[in-house]
Amino acid sequence: MSSPPLIEMRDIVKVYPNGVVANDGVHFTVEPGEIHALVGENGAGKTTLMKILYGLESPTQGEIRLRGRPVHFRSPLDAIAHGIGMVHQNFMLIPSFTVAENIVLGQEPRHRMLVDREAALQITRELSQQYGLRVEAEAVVDSVPVGMRQRVEILKTLYRGAEILILDEPTAVLTPQETQELFQAIRALVAQGKTVIFITHKLREVKEISDRVTVMRNGRVMGTLPTAQATTDQLARMMVGRDVLLTVEKPPAQPGEPVLEVRDLTYVSETGRTMLRDVRFTVRAGEILGVAGVEGNGQTELVEVLTGLRPATGGSARVRGREILNATPRQVRLSGVAHIPEDRLNNGLALTATINENLIVDRYFRPPFLRGLFIDSQVVQEHGVRLIQAFDIRAPGGDVPVASLSGGNMQKVIVAREFSAEPVLLIAAQPTRGIDVGATEFIRRQLVEKRSGGTAVLLISADLAEVMSLSDRLVVMYEGQITGVFPQVDRVSEEELGLYMLGLRRQTPEEMEAYL
Amino acid sequence: MNRVLRSNPVREALRVAIAVAVALTLGFIVTLFVSEDPVGAYKAFLFGPVSRLNRFGDWIEESITLIFLGLAVALVFKASQFSLGQEGQMVLGALVAGAVALYVPLPGILRIPLGLLAAMVVGFLWGMLPGFLKAYVEADEIVSTLMLNVVALKIYEYLLTYKIKPPDAGYTASATFPDPGILPTFLPPLPFLAEIRQLFMQRTNISIALYLVLAAVVVVYLLMYRMPFGYELRMVGANLRFARYGGIHTRRTIMLSMAVSGIFAGLAGAHLAMGIHRKLILNITFGLGFEGIVVSLLARNNPLAVPLTGLAYGYLRAGADVMERSSDVSREMVLVIQAVIILLVTAERILPMVQRRIAARRSAPGAAQTPEPAPASGPAKGDA
Repeated sequence: MSSPPLIEMRDIVKVYPNGVVANDGVHFTVEPGEIHALVGENGAGKTTLMKILYGLESPTQGEIRLRGRPVHFRSPLDAIAHGIGMVHQNFMLIPSFTVAENIVLGQEPRHRMLVDREAALQITRELSQQYGLRVEAEAVVDSVPVGMRQRVEILKTLYRGAEILILDEPTAVLTPQETQELFQAIRALVAQGKTVIFITHKLREVKEISDRVTVMRNGRVMGTLPTAQATTDQLARMMVGRDVLLTVEKPPAQPGEPVLEVRDLTYVSETGRTMLRDVRFTVRAGEILGVAGVEGNGQTELVEVLTGLRPATGGSARVRGREILNATPRQVRLSGVAHIPEDRLNNGLALTATINENLIVDRYFRPPFLRGLFIDSQVVQEHGVRLIQAFDIRAPGGDVPVASLSGGNMQKVIVAREFSAEPVLLIAAQPTRGIDVGATEFIRRQLVEKRSGGTAVLLISADLAEVMSLSDRLVVMYEGQITGVFPQVDRVSEEELGLYMLGLRRQTPEEMEAYL
Repeated sequence: MNRVLRSNPVREALRVAIAVAVALTLGFIVTLFVSEDPVGAYKAFLFGPVSRLNRFGDWIEESITLIFLGLAVALVFKASQFSLGQEGQMVLGALVAGAVALYVPLPGILRIPLGLLAAMVVGFLWGMLPGFLKAYVEADEIVSTLMLNVVALKIYEYLLTYKIKPPDAGYTASATFPDPGILPTFLPPLPFLAEIRQLFMQRTNISIALYLVLAAVVVVYLLMYRMPFGYELRMVGANLRFARYGGIHTRRTIMLSMAVSGIFAGLAGAHLAMGIHRKLILNITFGLGFEGIVVSLLARNNPLAVPLTGLAYGYLRAGADVMERSSDVSREMVLVIQAVIILLVTAERILPMVQRRIAARRSAPGAAQTPEPAPASGPAKGDA
């Protein structure tokens, strides 16, 4: 082939001011019209590389060529002008605007001085039709499902003239069915001449959708190969640098006493929406109860109500017989509950505080940390060293701010704190979301170990494969209710669970009664 | 060499040194334009505060106030509570300290601690009020503290004018405090110090507030970095949701951060009343209320750095005073020079920006360049 590649990133080096080398001599090429998967652990440098391509970060060294010509992006506006669009992992939409308004935002069609709403709707419908991305143009973004929000994001970049789309972990928030829809849409885009770069952790998706795959590790490219020639095992090995157990070894559960008993739990939000309705279930010592469901069906509220972060409207929840509803977070923790929060950056950590400080938030007020009037910094220091070692947190020491760690290591800080609290009940919400294969494997093993040691575990995860492989029993939540119970996880298929998750099927209360 | 430049304290010191140098040069350029004798005027500015003992005293006295205020601000800002209530807390601190000094018939050994304690308590309470409003009814602390400043100031003026001012006084001020209500000079009455002590007492009002403020620095440091309350305060400041998730009583922490901060602003008021002026006068705070913010920001809210930035800022203010009085540069231009210096020192991004520019220029020749101006942005498709 004589024509140059569509994108060629040569010898990209990115050193952050804090000395972290995120990209270390990366070569990355994308051919026109391909679906190119970019995989690697968190902290491997994929997102940095894409941010450089999108003009969000400037490389310390190296050059970018677009269709053979060198380009230099000072901001995303430059990248967009060159036809590069990026859909971020966290959607950048204005929730109170309609779908059409979000799509045209910044480049609104005008009628005299005002935004031409009709034209915006028209544009949205045409785009939606052209690319087969189904959206409701007039709906307010706040009220549409996550899958549609993602399509809105994609349309937004297409409206800005994107020829190359960068999708940053687009499937993290989708159900299996929605993922399939997204894949169809991606294929349709490519059929119309677009090029797609697809960042993911999930090797199964790489195999399913991509033409070529580039694996990154430690800021370097480990290789680029045609997907058809790669096996998942091989890719996993390239990512981690060793063999990875993609399935968790799990001894049979030996459930004991009930630890958490939730009865008729109801939660009505401040805006008057019923987010949880008559939820009931039991978690026993030594078992993992998994909660599956599409995000936004009450799982977040369930966890926050159980951990004292939101007031419940009705019902009861007892931990070893002690009521925990409407207690303060500290009282809940003192009853033996530990909590790995879903939103680790906002809830689970104080990013500007040090690792050591993050590790003591639930225990600084009692001995041995508190001695007389003062917190014993020696004890805090030793405690940090111990946990950093035990949980394999990759950090230069306990005195660095958590913000300097990679995503997987941030999560290990949380896991270290919550596991070392020796809880009777561990509530883990999305414990491995967005973190690398190595850390995921580690955290999953730790969860199973805790459970085998007699801790009751309530596991909430949008990753079906995760809940299915870890849970001893499984419930599905849909619109704030439990709509299905599966006492034997190996007897149910992903597709069947998907039907429950989408509300297309549900069990009657009588059917569920015996297993809750 | 690069490694040395990258180490944090070195960079920080270098950053400040460069900023100060640039600022002083700019200040001199301004002086060139407005003065007949720019060198003389600038000399007065740079060396004025150490040229005479009474000027030295003015510098130290004002720095003590600034350090107290800086500590107060460091405490609340560390909790990410942007309380601007130091002015109000200070003026009420001065009021109650003054009232104790004037009216409580106790010997000095009891009257002075009582006056200080009263100022601390009133500062605490006047800080707790907006703290409560913020924590429990979500009233914005910036607005509430500014409003409460007005309330405090007017209470002070009312009581001073109608209750405290002696009926026969020619202007609005209290009687001068009796000796047991005045902070003693900082030099102990030892025989071999007698002469120098006499000199300081005649020329300056540097009092035991000097020791109080140093003790306050230590207390604030221990409070913030060694005690559970400080941990709670810093976590609330770093990430409120994390603090709550971790079990910290966030509302109480917010309220107490503003209340405890008030203690130190109250002490600043007591220092003004019992140490410097030795009576209550109108406008006793002399516009110092908001200067604590500058002091604390210069110190990056680090209590151990506050004495240094307080002294430095106090020096700047004292120098500006001397320049104004002993040269032809007007007060307004003095303030401009002062503001330029502060601006340059606080502008955190200036040095990194310069570094980036230099780095960009160095890599420019060989590195990627936009081959042509970017096409006008628009919904049009790329020109593939």
